[in-house]
Amino acid sequence: MLTLLKLLQSLFKTLHSEGTPGQVAAGIVLGAGIGLTPLLSAHNLVLFAAIVLLNVSFGGGMLGMALFTPLGFVLDPVFDRIGLALLNAPGLRALWTDWYNIPLLPYTNFNNSVTLGSLVFWLVSTVPLYFLATWALARYRATYGQRVMNSKFMKGLQASKLYNVYSWFRPE
Amino acid sequence: MSPQRLRIFRWKAVGPLLLFLLLLVVLWIVFADRIAREQAESNLSETLGTEVDIASLRIRETDAAVDIGGLAIADPRDRMRNLFEAGTITVDLDPVPLTEKKIVIDEVRLSGLRFLTGRKTAARPADPNSPAGKLLSETRQWARDKFQFPKLALGRIDTVKSLVLHPEQLGTVKAAKTLLGTVDSTRTAFEQGLAALQLKPLVDSSTALAGQLAKTDPKTLGLTGVKNSVTSVQKAIDRIKQAKGRLQTLEQTAKSSLGELQKGLQDVNAARLKDYSFAKGLLQLPSFDAPDIGASLFGEQSTDYFQQALYYAKIAQKYVPPGLQPWNRPGPKRTRLAGTTVEFPKEKEYPRFLLRQGDIDLATGSAAQNTFKASFAGITSQPALLGRPATLVASGRLGGDSPVSVDLSALSRHFGSSPKDSLQAHVAGVSLPAIPFPGLPFSVNPGKSTMGFGFSLAGDRLAGSWEISSNQVSWKADSTRLQSASLVESTVWRVISGLSELQVRAELGGTIDSPTIKVRSNLDEAIAARLRGLVGEQLAKAEQKARAAVDQLVDQQVAALQTKVNDLQSQALARLPVERTQLDGVQQQLETQLRRLAGSAAGGLKLPKL
Repeated sequence: MLTLLKLLQSLFKTLHSEGTPGQVAAGIVLGAGIGLTPLLSAHNLVLFAAIVLLNVSFGGGMLGMALFTPLGFVLDPVFDRIGLALLNAPGLRALWTDWYNIPLLPYTNFNNSVTLGSLVFWLVSTVPLYFLATWALARYRATYGQRVMNSKFMKGLQASKLYNVYSWFRPE
Repeated sequence: MSPQRLRIFRWKAVGPLLLFLLLLVVLWIVFADRIAREQAESNLSETLGTEVDIASLRIRETDAAVDIGGLAIADPRDRMRNLFEAGTITVDLDPVPLTEKKIVIDEVRLSGLRFLTGRKTAARPADPNSPAGKLLSETRQWARDKFQFPKLALGRIDTVKSLVLHPEQLGTVKAAKTLLGTVDSTRTAFEQGLAALQLKPLVDSSTALAGQLAKTDPKTLGLTGVKNSVTSVQKAIDRIKQAKGRLQTLEQTAKSSLGELQKGLQDVNAARLKDYSFAKGLLQLPSFDAPDIGASLFGEQSTDYFQQALYYAKIAQKYVPPGLQPWNRPGPKRTRLAGTTVEFPKEKEYPRFLLRQGDIDLATGSAAQNTFKASFAGITSQPALLGRPATLVASGRLGGDSPVSVDLSALSRHFGSSPKDSLQAHVAGVSLPAIPFPGLPFSVNPGKSTMGFGFSLAGDRLAGSWEISSNQVSWKADSTRLQSASLVESTVWRVISGLSELQVRAELGGTIDSPTIKVRSNLDEAIAARLRGLVGEQLAKAEQKARAAVDQLVDQQVAALQTKVNDLQSQALARLPVERTQLDGVQQQLETQLRRLAGSAAGGLKLPKL
């Protein structure tokens, strides 16, 4: 319940006033990386640290994660095919063999078809996703933003104490 | 007013992030052992195709070691039994390969081992869709398909069952139909070939030429006329010679085809013999040949051992591929799609898994009672990187009052031209469980026995042996079923119940696709002789009945086929000499005329070179 509340808070605050559209979009892109790829992979720790440490919207990160996790499940068969094609590509075999035998790198699970496929998919989609999210957010704020912000639901949500925890990660 | 400079880092979040990492470390400390235990149980269960339980697992990070307690591996074929239990296992890891997510075990020590122990709860069956589950069902199906042993447990044969056969069940009918088609096509081909030679026009024109020349005086033809006549005769003779050559070729072809038809007739007769066996099988007659009796009594039991060995050999082949090619294996189990995990072995690097050396200390009961030592080495997921086979050697004595001596050696070589897995075991003084006789109302309890087992799978070639020897056997009968037993069953019981010794040997050979098995025991000849004396006459009658039933259905067809083949043969072989005689005759006539023309012109005519 707390998680859900926190997520709602972050969602609405993110959409309305926390950071520039670019910061929110960058958060969404990083969160999408966590959501699209299998959670228990070492690179997700790096992505999470980036969301926390970089001056991007933490709420955007959570939003990206929430939006793209279900999409990840749906697209898993596609990721599997992409990843397997890359892993079995004769031209890349030497690269994978080197990576497989380098310390720590195997913990990223790059040699798993779904992990590699989803990571590559995410990397390819980062730039278009960033611009798409920036544009969509600016448009939202200009059209529906103020009405939603003045709603009773939003005011109640803001009054929650959990908001304070969330505010630690507000973009500056 | 200048815009506020956008900062890249959020330094105040470093604290919460460190707290988060600390939380992860705490969670690892609290749950790592549990997670590792569950993961190990899950992976081993999936690999071996049976439930694997681990009572405790403790990771000693500072020592790079793992202590495992209470390991139990269930028997995939008997869910209420454990194949193997280990009290404690200490695993010393090489920490360097762990950085590459590879497990290299310097040494493993096992103690408190027990084999074939009962379980309190039934083991979970293997997931039928897992690789091991599929292998298990494949090997079971393989044993069912490849080994069918005659049943000795039969109904009464004092009255032979009625036998109803259908023509489509019989191979003879199918073979006769096929051959009939071949006979027709052979006849057509022969006639077409003969017609294509156009012998009649040739014979007619050549005869007419010879007749015309016979009526003509060469002196009236003049020099040019004689020359032309000689040329015409020579051309006609050439055509006849060519026709004779083609006729000879046709004759050879015809003889070859007729030979094939005769062979086909032999095949039809062979099919009839098979049909006799098939019809005999429908009567469910017992076979009283000694090898069949051995197979009837102990065939299933021996197959059972070989099937298990094949299952584990195939597991080894599946998870330990030869060579250094990238290897695809199923990804980890998770909520997301598992996908495929590809391994990329590299020369001079660590394999994904390596157990350098393992020792077993059987310290159950009093240490003085056990003088058992076992060691294993070179167990790896990429044998090509290690360059030597995995080995297991064990020998010694277990137990006090009634010790069991064990000699065991196993080798798994999965590199080089063809993989090979082999096992040799010899156990003396072991109490074997009772062996039921399939379909018969009794079983044998071998008691303290000596058992030998050997198995090897090299490529697809199988070799194996299973033998038991005991001089303390006891026999157990189902008294209710025995009262209503058939003559065969009661006879077998009378023969075996007086014996105290049991010797059984089964030998496996051939390939996975075409395996062979021979089973013999000291019971075979004794039972066979008694049964032949008792029911031999009835058996002969029943066999006669089976033959008659087949003959009734196929005699007419086979006789008609035989007649057709004979007719074709006689026609073809009779017609060709006639044609050849005609050609010879007309050639002779032409040659006579040629000589006459030459003789008449001898005075001064220069004739074409003959």
